[in-house]
Amino acid sequence: MQEYYNKGIKDIIDEFPQVEKILDEYGIGCGPCNVGTCLLKDIVEIHNLSSQDEAVLFSKIAKVIYPDRDIKIPEVKRKEKPKEITYSPPINKLVQEHKIIKRWAALIPEVIANLNLDSEAGREIIVKGIDFIKNYADKYHHAKEEDILFKYFDENLDIIKAMHTDHDTARAYVKNVLIGIEERDENKVSENLSAYRELLIEHIKKEDEILYPWMDRTFSVTVVGELFAKFAEVDKQFSDNPKKQEEFICELETKFGSKEVKK
Amino acid sequence: MDGCPGAKMFDFNDKDDKKDSGSTAKIQSQLQHWPIQLHLISPTAPYYENKDVLLVADCVAYAMGGFHNDYMKGKSIAIACPKLDIKQEVYLEKIKSWFEDAKINTLTVLIMQVPCCSGLLGLAKKALDESSRKVPLKGIVVSLRGDVISEEWVQ
Repeated sequence: MQEYYNKGIKDIIDEFPQVEKILDEYGIGCGPCNVGTCLLKDIVEIHNLSSQDEAVLFSKIAKVIYPDRDIKIPEVKRKEKPKEITYSPPINKLVQEHKIIKRWAALIPEVIANLNLDSEAGREIIVKGIDFIKNYADKYHHAKEEDILFKYFDENLDIIKAMHTDHDTARAYVKNVLIGIEERDENKVSENLSAYRELLIEHIKKEDEILYPWMDRTFSVTVVGELFAKFAEVDKQFSDNPKKQEEFICELETKFGSKEVKK
Repeated sequence: MDGCPGAKMFDFNDKDDKKDSGSTAKIQSQLQHWPIQLHLISPTAPYYENKDVLLVADCVAYAMGGFHNDYMKGKSIAIACPKLDIKQEVYLEKIKSWFEDAKINTLTVLIMQVPCCSGLLGLAKKALDESSRKVPLKGIVVSLRGDVISEEWVQ
């Protein structure tokens, strides 16, 4: 079993597809991940299951991998999982920013349904939406993550690499949307905007529910204070620009009605 | 009526499960500066600047067996009693000065579980609300037997 503890999850799922379903039962949704190189043992640790759940999960996986053998799973002592997720103040800032980004993601289907690249006003909505993605989601929010938060971890960690890959994929979708606007190609715009939305919702869920709580568990009080100060410095640099970007979301909500992200 | 929960009597003497720490080695003090009483300290003393600061209710260090190593190590500290200390408006200004002038990195407030002790955390929250500079504030509540009942970031 040791061999599989230290194996990339995508390889395990490719070899034993039932493992994806078992992981799903415990809220570990590695199936759709774009990278999949995280090791099985790291994935389970990062999800902070109770000792009992972790033992049962590994037993189920062991049964799939070695159906004819009785594998003993060593018990791992974990702190009791908190009933609801709480965040340290700097991480909470990022979660609050996610809420704004999710409001934009929730509006994307309406934006696509009303897409009209032949009119100036129609193009303007998409251009402003891309401006929000570039300036708020990417420069303002992702800059905090990539330039500050992730630097506190080994950038070669698979989970960090997976987050970078998501960011890069999102940037590629945005680039294609811009090409679509240039070419007046509504299919290209809507396809890439939809793909961006799907990726974003999944990405934020991973961060809010798995990555950030795990990071918070590793932080000392000193690191929490440092992160808070560094994020405050970014906020100062961006001045009232993020507020202006939020106003665009409010304008769209007034136009299309306030939506909620549905999965 | 039981009276004030903060003054209610308990005798832990018959519960000897925690009495023997099992070690006779001298425990090194982690105290890094003096004074420590909140009325006596200067909030802008160099040992508070940019530091992680503990504001601790007087009784906490007596209740927690491992207070020095578990909480004080590497931290600057001040102690106070929100129930008995007078002129607490001075405390409010000193805590604000930690945030604004000493530019402390974080503030952790350790209090006992008795209701009157929550006033110390309340005072820190008020100081942070009134401060022009924000820092992470953590509250830790300790039981009469020295166990941590709750530990959470307040704001």
